[in-house]
This record gives sequence, C-alpha cells and structure tokens, in this order.
Amino acid sequence: MTIIQEKTLSARTRPDFPILNQTIHGQPLVYLDNAATSQKPIAVLEALRQYYEHDNANVHRGVHTLSSRATDAYEGARDQVAAFVKAASRQEIVFTRNASEAINLVAYSWALSTLKPGDEIVLSVMEHHSNLVPWQMMAQRTGAVLQHVELTETEEFDFEQFKSLLSEKTKLVAVVHVSNTLGCINPVKEICVEAHKVGARVLIDACQSVPHMAIDVQELDCDWLVASGHKMCAPTGIGFLYGKLDLLRSQPPFMGGGEMIADVFLDHSTYADLPHKFEAGTPAIGEAIALGAAVEYLSKIGMDQIHAYEEDLTRYLFRQLATIPELRIYGPKPNADGSGRAALASFTAGGVHPHDLSTILDQAGVAIRAGHHCTQPLHRYLKAQSTARASLYFYNTREEIDVFVAALKDAIEFFGGLFG
Amino acid sequence: MTTGNLRDLYQQVILERYKKPKFRGVTAPVHRHQRGHNPSCGDTIELTVQLDGTGDRIEEVRFEGEGCAIAMASADLMAEAMRGKTTAEALDMVQRFQTMMQGKAEFSTEHRKLNVMQGVSQFPVRIKCATLTWHTLKAALEASTQPTEFVSNE
Repeated sequence: MTIIQEKTLSARTRPDFPILNQTIHGQPLVYLDNAATSQKPIAVLEALRQYYEHDNANVHRGVHTLSSRATDAYEGARDQVAAFVKAASRQEIVFTRNASEAINLVAYSWALSTLKPGDEIVLSVMEHHSNLVPWQMMAQRTGAVLQHVELTETEEFDFEQFKSLLSEKTKLVAVVHVSNTLGCINPVKEICVEAHKVGARVLIDACQSVPHMAIDVQELDCDWLVASGHKMCAPTGIGFLYGKLDLLRSQPPFMGGGEMIADVFLDHSTYADLPHKFEAGTPAIGEAIALGAAVEYLSKIGMDQIHAYEEDLTRYLFRQLATIPELRIYGPKPNADGSGRAALASFTAGGVHPHDLSTILDQAGVAIRAGHHCTQPLHRYLKAQSTARASLYFYNTREEIDVFVAALKDAIEFFGGLFG
Repeated sequence: MTTGNLRDLYQQVILERYKKPKFRGVTAPVHRHQRGHNPSCGDTIELTVQLDGTGDRIEEVRFEGEGCAIAMASADLMAEAMRGKTTAEALDMVQRFQTMMQGKAEFSTEHRKLNVMQGVSQFPVRIKCATLTWHTLKAALEASTQPTEFVSNE
C-alpha cells in the first residue's frame, strides 16, 4: 500500500464522521477504541432520521402505507446483511440486539435441546465473555463438558491442540474469528473443516472480523456466525445471527411473543417461518435499517480496500510501537506488509497500569481502552491483570498513530524513573 | 502534555506510595480479611486487619493486590491513616473519603495526607479506583470474624 492510497481512504471518509471533528481537553480527538465500538457515519445517522421522520410504523402488520414502508426497509436491511456476508438465503439472517443475544439464541434454542451429558463443547481461552458465559450456563444445564483451545508460543490459536481435542463427543466448536485482545486471525475455515469431520457444529464470533474484512459464510462453511452492528458503523442495539437454513429450521424458538408466531390459540401456538421464528416482539426497526445503511456504506468503500488500508495502518502502528522498549504487546506480530493480524494492539507498558495510561492519554485527546476487554480468562492465561488497547478503523490515520505513540511515550516518561 | 489536572491527580505522594508502599503485606495475626474487586477493570485488593484486645480498635491494616497508581496509593494511605482507629472512627473516615470523592469534603489536619486524593474527584471514571480499598475496608469491619465473599464496588 502506498501513502497516497492511505491518505485517500481516511481523507475520503473522515468527513462522514462528524464526531471525529472535535477536541478533547483542548486536543484533537484521536479515537482508537474501535474494537469496543466504531463511530457512525452521516449515512447511518440519516437512515435513522429518515426512518423516524418519514416511515416510522410497526412492521409486519397493518396494511397502511407507513407500515408497508417500515416493513420494506426492515426486510431490505436483512437483504443487505445477507448479501454482505454472502448468505445463501435471506432467511438465514436473524436480527438480534447484539452478538451476545445471537450466541444466547443458539445456546438456548439449539444447545439446550441437543446437548447431552458428556457431550463436549470446544471453546478457546481467547474468547470474549459473550462466547464463554452462555456455554458455561449450557454446560451446567445439560451436563456437557467445556474444553478450551490454548495459545501457541506466538499467542495464536493452537490449531494442533484444537485438532487433538476433537472427537465424536465434540458437538459444538464456538470460537472467535479475530481476537479483540490478541488481534490474531483464527483459521476459521480450517476449524470448520476439522469440526465437521467429527460431526460437530461450528459457531463463529465474527464481531471483530465482519467490520474489517470481506466475509463469505458459504466459503467458511460455518453453521452459525454472529456479529454486532455497533462495531461496524451501525447503532447499538442491533446485531445479527447467520445460521444455515436447515439448521435454523430444525431449531426450536428462543423467545416467545409477537412476530414469531403463525397461529396462536389459548393453549398452544404455531410458529412463523424463518427468520421471524427467532424475532419475538417488535424488533429494533430503526437500528436494523441503520445497519443496512452501514452495510451499504462499508460496501461502497469496499471491504477489501478497508482491509488493505488497515493492514497498512497495522504495519505503521507496529513499527512506531517498536520504538518504545517498555512495551509488551500481546498476540502475533504482523507480517512485513502488515497482514496477518487485526489493526489493534493490546499492551502493557512497564509497570504503568493501563488505567493510568488511559487517563494520561485521554488528556492528550487519545481514546484507548484499558482493562480486561471482556476477556478475563485470556488475561489470566497471559498473567496480565489488565492491558491497554489501541484499535483502529479505516478512518484512522498515520498522523493519529503518531499522536498516540507520542502521548504514550509522554505517559511512560510521566511515570518515569518509577520503574526504571 | 501533562496538564494541571493531571498533576493534581498524580501528586508526587501518590506516585511515591505507588512505587514504594509502606503497608503492603498481611497482618499477623489476621482478625479481618476481605477481598475487593473492581469488575470493570479486573483490579483486586486483599485487605487484612489486625485488631487490639478489645476487638474494636485497629492495630494495623495491610493490603495485597494489583491495581493502578490511584488504587494502590489510596490503599497505602488508608492503611496508614487507620492505625489506632476504632471501628466507628474508621467507618466515619470511609464515609468522609467517599464524600471527598464527590468533591464535597476533605480531611482535617490529623489526616490531611489523605487530601492528596482529592484530585481524583476531577476524574469521575477514576473514583472507583480510589474507593475500592475503602469499600473493602468497610466490608471487612462490618463483617463478622469470618471473611465474607468478594466485595465489589460496582
């Protein structure tokens, strides 16, 4: 990637994000907490506004014009998401509040009705709490056993160990695509191949991959894939579950209520066809429509271009961070061209606590995450109480990385001598 | 880069106590034991308290744990201030510290050292760091002789 292309993408997109154009403590905002949530472009805000100013009505009921428009827009967003992840059918996309809800849907609908005592669920130590806790609950309720893939020396998914865990007892593999802490990109396609050999289902937590790279669920051949909208330029309160059609069809409903029914009697009901069987109650209509707008926005830029640009930023970020000897950066190093890992860096800086770092960086206008990033078991595994994390998106620039790195150096100097 | 606010937050005393705490460790014997936890960041603190023969006066407080400069300095300063205090006095001080974090009070001359923590009140997201040890002490003193479950400041 050339510098010219980098400037083109961030320069082209930054005007779409008015929130970035502000000062924090008198310094220009440098937003590097994109793995927690991304910012939202005007196109997404306008979609929300358009919906509430012109089309607001409940969906799938009523024959009046507004209801018809709202339904068309809501279902249109489903088409957009289905196309975005290359689903074979629009019926394979279920809107949820977020990725956690999507995982819980699979847990309560599929796992609870399928798993038997002694069945095995394979997770990894790098999972987000949202891909750990639901399975712990399922293990408690069904008697299934949890197993965890550990890390290689380079702090990546240990594929060999993973293969050794698989057996005919394995019923589910639930793993993250891109770790929000390590930044490693897990071989999910190969994971699906191996898991399917023993007849296990595979759920992919794609929260950190869908916003940053082209995803093709048919090529991955995963059974389920979950993502949250707010990390990919959409509002909070909307996420989605992809599931293979036959599988979703065979699953019992998750929650009961309006929208998900075909026919209701006092003592029993029949359920709606997919995907509405899994969408009980009035959905987050505006948010779903805005997710559609976000998908359209990202698609216009091009996911391959976003990914390539982020690789270039990654290369630059790691080069600049390498100038700070006190840093311990977790996860794999990027390849020479910046590929091979996500555009984020979790680190500790000598003895300076991440909270102290984050407070000092905030005074310089730099927003980074400090804490355990909802991966407490991974932090325990790494023997790190907490880490600081800078995470990038396509609107970030090399200049922002420079500001961040300079502020980081200042912060370490501020605590300087303390740990020398 | 470092503004006046930051200097208020990270006063020299705080940085020194963070670097060289005086009250790290475990009391001997242990009359009260309490673990505290800040779920939002994973910081933990483990307090032990030694009481006098009456069981109502603090001989010593010590702490173990991992946390930021604010949390650790707060624990160390608190442990120092608690020597010789009755349970009632200690609980009053916990209350006063919490009020100070809201920017509404400070300690009198006897405990003026604790006032170095006042700067934290200007950083609302960091108040939890400073108060974790105080919440934990309160739970320790209010508990029976049996250690209780984790106390959380959420």
